[in-house]
Amino acid sequence: MKRVRFLLLALFAFTLLALAACAPAATTAPSGTSAAPAATAPAGSSTSGDPILIGIAVAQTSNTALLGQEQVIGAKIAEKFFNERGGINGRPLKLVFQDTAGDEQGAINAFQNLINKDKVVGIVGPTLSQQAFSADKFAEEAKVPVLGPSNTAVGIPQIGEYISRVSVPVTVFAPGAVKAAQKLNANIKRVAVAWAQNDAFSKSETGVFQNTVTDTLKLELVTVQTFQTTDTDFTTQATNIINAKPDLVIISGLASDGGNLVKQLRDLGYKGLMIGGNGLNTSNIYPVCKAACDSLLVAQAYSPELDSQINKDFRAAYEAEQKKAPPQFSAQAFTAVQVFVEALKAIDSKSKLSGMSLDQMRQELNKQIITSGAKYQTPLGEIAFDKEGEVIQKATYVAQIKMNADGATGKFEFLK
Amino acid sequence: MTEFLSTYGVLLVGMVLAAILALSLYLPLMAGQLSLASPGFYAVGGYIAAILSTKVFLADGETIQPFPIQYILFEMLVAGVISGALAVVVGVLALRLRGIYLALATIAFVEILRILSLNLEFTGGAVGIFAIPQPFSDAINYLWIASPLLIVSALFTYRLERVGAGRAFIAIREDELAADTIGINPTYYKVLAFTLGAILAGLVGAISAHFLNTWNARQGTFDASIAYLAFVLVGGSRTFLGPIVGGMLLTALPEVLRAVAGINGLPTWFAQLLRDGRLIIYGILIVLVTIYFPHGLVSPNWLERKAKTNASEAMQRKAAESAEKNI
Amino acid sequence: MLYGDGVGRTSVCLDKIGDMNFGLLLQQTLNGLAIGGVYAIFALGYTLVFSILRIINLSHGAIFTLGAYFTYTLAGEAFGFNGVLARAALPLGLPFPLAMLLGAVLAGLTGVLIERAAFRPLRTRNADPLLTLVSSLGMAVLIVNVIQFLVGAEIYSYPANALSILGPLPTAINFGNETNAIPVRTIQIIIFIFSLVILAILTYFINYTRMGKALRAISEDAVTASLLGINTDFFIMLTFFLSGFLGGIAGTLVGLSVSIAGPYFGIAFGLKGLAVIVLGGMGSIPGAVVGGFIIGLAEAFVPANMVAYKDAIAFALLFIVLLVRPRGLLGRSGVQKV
Repeated sequence: MKRVRFLLLALFAFTLLALAACAPAATTAPSGTSAAPAATAPAGSSTSGDPILIGIAVAQTSNTALLGQEQVIGAKIAEKFFNERGGINGRPLKLVFQDTAGDEQGAINAFQNLINKDKVVGIVGPTLSQQAFSADKFAEEAKVPVLGPSNTAVGIPQIGEYISRVSVPVTVFAPGAVKAAQKLNANIKRVAVAWAQNDAFSKSETGVFQNTVTDTLKLELVTVQTFQTTDTDFTTQATNIINAKPDLVIISGLASDGGNLVKQLRDLGYKGLMIGGNGLNTSNIYPVCKAACDSLLVAQAYSPELDSQINKDFRAAYEAEQKKAPPQFSAQAFTAVQVFVEALKAIDSKSKLSGMSLDQMRQELNKQIITSGAKYQTPLGEIAFDKEGEVIQKATYVAQIKMNADGATGKFEFLK
Repeated sequence: MTEFLSTYGVLLVGMVLAAILALSLYLPLMAGQLSLASPGFYAVGGYIAAILSTKVFLADGETIQPFPIQYILFEMLVAGVISGALAVVVGVLALRLRGIYLALATIAFVEILRILSLNLEFTGGAVGIFAIPQPFSDAINYLWIASPLLIVSALFTYRLERVGAGRAFIAIREDELAADTIGINPTYYKVLAFTLGAILAGLVGAISAHFLNTWNARQGTFDASIAYLAFVLVGGSRTFLGPIVGGMLLTALPEVLRAVAGINGLPTWFAQLLRDGRLIIYGILIVLVTIYFPHGLVSPNWLERKAKTNASEAMQRKAAESAEKNI
Repeated sequence: MLYGDGVGRTSVCLDKIGDMNFGLLLQQTLNGLAIGGVYAIFALGYTLVFSILRIINLSHGAIFTLGAYFTYTLAGEAFGFNGVLARAALPLGLPFPLAMLLGAVLAGLTGVLIERAAFRPLRTRNADPLLTLVSSLGMAVLIVNVIQFLVGAEIYSYPANALSILGPLPTAINFGNETNAIPVRTIQIIIFIFSLVILAILTYFINYTRMGKALRAISEDAVTASLLGINTDFFIMLTFFLSGFLGGIAGTLVGLSVSIAGPYFGIAFGLKGLAVIVLGGMGSIPGAVVGGFIIGLAEAFVPANMVAYKDAIAFALLFIVLLVRPRGLLGRSGVQKV
């Protein structure tokens, strides 16, 4: 009897599944509109109150979720922020979230859902460059504009006409950070580099840093150490670095691993300057390196301290919810949504969006982004896009972390 | 229907590829060898296709667009040959081990390959190789390559279960010592089964590199090893249909949950659980299936029973049986 | 002390090259022992279950993670802003050592739950042991994602005063002198000593108590043991409790050293633990300890220019040991029959 009940239970689970397997076909119409009613309808039938759909495809699960989670927050703040300010010339915008998880197949599936089922006008995502190489192709084929919020590898905008990004490639800010370090200590001669070998952000970034050190600034690269983002011990690398006697250590990694290396270097007595790359540009490193974060220089594509109205508003909205300064990934996701909103507004002012089919809207949106040359005042500062969809960011920043006495909170101080 | 295909066409390709990968793990398992090396060979196959198509098959220094299908077939050939050769070497070394020991050795093999590909120059490290040329304008057309491969490998495995070599595999699985005494050379057949699986994984890798448009060190990992094992055991490890069903079902499952979460009128908390907790449900289902379907969803017994149910006699007996159980 | 005028210091370094090597040796040895201690505790959890059931519990890495989160919760720390439990915290935080102990107990109870849910049903059906591998994996997926669902993916770290019971601690202890420093992180030393204590208690328990002896009897021969009237089911549960307890302790210790890096925190550790138990001999308790220290030391002694391959060492060792001596350094012979 017991066995039969168990079997029934399992059977029930699978009937549910089988049912679900048919669901996408059977419920095509409702599921397409589930996120927002009627916006999927063809031209003419939408009324002025219908929301415009923008897709967010970032990693909400898997071990990439730490980054994706920050992006979700940034995007949600943008949705609320712009809707409170009249949306897209009176029409609300609505974000549709599809989780990409951490892999390529997941990113493709999320994109396909957003493009074909949710029928969004544009997509913000995916989180990782590797995922972008895979999934962006599908948006390109479907002629749906994509804004990469955090893809920094070489070659992303070149995937296609519809692919752009708001995340500046590392080539732009790496030299500035090293020069800032030289301002603080003119005697820097020996530089050690450490980077996370299983992370694409870090691999792209460290290449630029290493070139800056050896080719541009003619400094001596005394050791190159690698680690993995999943490592839990960095004493080997920290000891190797200290024994190479550097005056400057440059770390390209993510918050947890990078922060730990910073901490372990300080614990073991390293007193010199350190630069952290973009992956460390987050208040998430405070709990990792605590007091040892102090004086770390961080190369930033976004500075919470930037003195502009939009950044102050963004920062206030973020802090109201999360009680800490916004990290770069949130700011970039916000910016990506903002670019879509402002581009849509610009199109709408010329010829009404409500008169366009979805395909037209997508194409116009892409054209507006890459050919109008429009400038956007964003939390990242002023940005624009070139014809390839590469972001042109006016300013990048170098900050120095100042930790408070409690060792748990601190701030990124502008360094200029 | 068009919307269904455009949304889920890619998933269909993914399901077919997963089914073949599950078969690649099933083949050594036929001979009783639990090898988790498939992701390693899958990665090798993918790198071969990625490198050939972006560095070797060039016209005027540019990748060829659209990429000719015969070139992909050639890449698959190379991937199959190299994976096979590597498998013979690894197999001869590792197949002296059994059960969980062999599984661990193959896990180590996969992990070593992963770290190598992170460090080697020509594999592109963590960023990997990207902008792999495409043979089709629409990804669903990959079914034209993937489905024939699935059909051929399924037929091959089906035949294998009934001819000499396959019977030798099964004899080794049931009792290696006994098989040895009746003149079956266990080492030979074990390496053969392992190599066949490796070739299959290499072939899928070559297709996947084009299909995913990019290839990197995250393609062959421990997680993948275990996922393929789940394909086989959830589907059923006693007939070739098991891994195919398992691979397809488990690949589709997260997407099915995603679709269900999008249905209108669900309570918010339930939709949220389906959306953000998809993998929670995935984990629970894996546990439930292994417990309640210990022979997998498709087992030979089940197939036989189904055949028998056609005969009314059997039906009666079954009814009597279940009545008995209920008492 | 270490940082100063670049030129002058370099010459000092050249003069002392001989001392440097000895210093480095000592430093890397201490580091290796500290890492190895945690590997050993963690791998013991694997090996205990394996010695009784001949099955690898793939959810052990997830328990490691869970233990770290339990301790964090019990210490009264608040969660972040994502996940269902956003901003939640216990009204009252326990002192850290107590939180750690209780966290490990909870991790142990989770181990028992996992045994009930994913192992026992299969055992009573005499199912293929490989299936248990998969069901334990399902449990791992479940645990990791439940954590993420509840508290999000952010990084959590224990309060700065977690070890205040030990008095004011420097961040590192210098085993050299002023001019030629050989610093080792204090936390590493604490973890090393703590690991030794745990190992000593466990050794005593297994070798000198009735329960421990019964456990050993079951691992030698389960059938005979149950014929002798030993309640196997109880001892299997006890094994899972101990295993989860050790996994949870290891998670908290690593969390103390590097903070909790999200729900996937323990997965890489779980994989490396496999290498440790194979090296030492599957199911061998002293083997897990020896294996842990060997891999910890081997990783600490990777030459500076080969660090990129550090994570491959454990697996290269695993592969070689399996080929040359599959029963591991201290394992019993006869594994070929498994």
